[in-house]
Amino acid sequence: MVKSVVPAGLKSMKKSDVWLIGVLAALALASFGGLSLYSKLGTKEPEAVVYLEGKEQGRYALSEDTKVKISLENGNYNILKIQQGKADMVEASCPDKVCVNHRPVSMQGESLVCLPNQVVVEIENGEEGEVDASVN
Amino acid sequence: MKKWHRAAMFVIAVAVLAGFAFIQKQGKKAERFQGQFFDCFDTVTTVTGYAKDKEAFSEKLKMLEEKLLYYHKLYDIYHTYDGINNLKTINDAAGKSPVKVDSEIMELLKLGREMYEKTDGKLQIAYGSVLSLWHEYREQGNEKPKEACLPPQKELEERAAHTDMAQMILDEKASTVYLADPEMSLDVGSIGKGYAVQRLAEYAEEIGMEHVLLSVGGNVSAVGPKADGIPWRVGVENPDTESARQYVCTLDIAGLTVVTSGDYQRYYEVDGKRYCHIIDPDTNMPPEYFSSVSVTARDSGMADALSTALFSTEYEKGAALVESLEGVEAMWIGKDGEIRCSSGFKINEEE
Repeated sequence: MVKSVVPAGLKSMKKSDVWLIGVLAALALASFGGLSLYSKLGTKEPEAVVYLEGKEQGRYALSEDTKVKISLENGNYNILKIQQGKADMVEASCPDKVCVNHRPVSMQGESLVCLPNQVVVEIENGEEGEVDASVN
Repeated sequence: MKKWHRAAMFVIAVAVLAGFAFIQKQGKKAERFQGQFFDCFDTVTTVTGYAKDKEAFSEKLKMLEEKLLYYHKLYDIYHTYDGINNLKTINDAAGKSPVKVDSEIMELLKLGREMYEKTDGKLQIAYGSVLSLWHEYREQGNEKPKEACLPPQKELEERAAHTDMAQMILDEKASTVYLADPEMSLDVGSIGKGYAVQRLAEYAEEIGMEHVLLSVGGNVSAVGPKADGIPWRVGVENPDTESARQYVCTLDIAGLTVVTSGDYQRYYEVDGKRYCHIIDPDTNMPPEYFSSVSVTARDSGMADALSTALFSTEYEKGAALVESLEGVEAMWIGKDGEIRCSSGFKINEEE
């Protein structure tokens, strides 16, 4: 019964052929495993990255509640608060307070921007948001 | 027979590997990138688009930044730039002499005049004298919240006496602009950015970007749909920034523009009351009809102008204006959160 479903060609397969198939299969499996492991390693924790005049100043995991004062040389400042997985600008020395009025951010690519102080807080490794952009 | 077998297997293995490599390369071909710059129109510009790699995208981003910077300089009312006659040059020469200008200033001012007429004076680019007074009081109020106060009514009225659009004299043949009233000044904050974004979108297409989403301070313009043909999804921010719900709704756009004017980003408080940055030319005060008004249209300059004008216009009158314009739709969010949409305003159903 079993023999009858094996194609004729395969009957003539040698041991070395079986080995070749085995090695190929093992290689394929290993590379898939490696790939998925790699991408898992690549998924880092969501964090808020602080930039001052375009230069990175620090990274803060959204999972850890904290309060950070970002101080400029000229005495100006912004206070960033991380709470319940979100980053929020709670205080700033800038004249327009647009950064403080902004809602807390946590999604991938979202940012808090204080143009007068040239402070940018950007979310990295965050969850993908539902929109491509927003109007406000 | 067995040799044939081995050869076949080898060929299959190579084909499979080549297939993988091909898929990977294909994937790279339409990779999505996002970039930002901060030096234009006192706001953040975000560009979302596609390129074969990061370098190629950065190159395009740089080109877009240069283009937008050109408009930023032209429409700047605070700074002068070497070799450029901009709006500050025109304002500084008010009552003195006509100023020779770039065609992109002429076009913008013409659009401003057209929208002034269409919106019954609610879109007012010759309103700089009043706006600058509010600007001063707002900045001081934000700096020292306890001493925050409103501009005196008398001073507002005095300033408002110098906002006559008829005194803005455009000479298209000579490419000059002249402000006949020495006390008047132009402020294109309600229209300049939108006009520039429209031009930027056209430029993006010119340099071969077929699928781009431009967001200049929340002034959003889509060139085409996304690379996969699906429209871009744009969230309309909830004016209630304390609410857990970030967006009031989402819109799907392709080749369209969305602009929102609201009272919850730029404002200051006096005695616990909020006074936003948009001023109604008829009252010289911030309007109190809505929390935000969003406009969708083909042209970003027009959408920008309309969202500002509608913010200062009572609903019935504004709705009639929107219905009279082709290809223009709007959504009004009231102070109490009530949402009203024009007949063709398409929002995504709740999921």
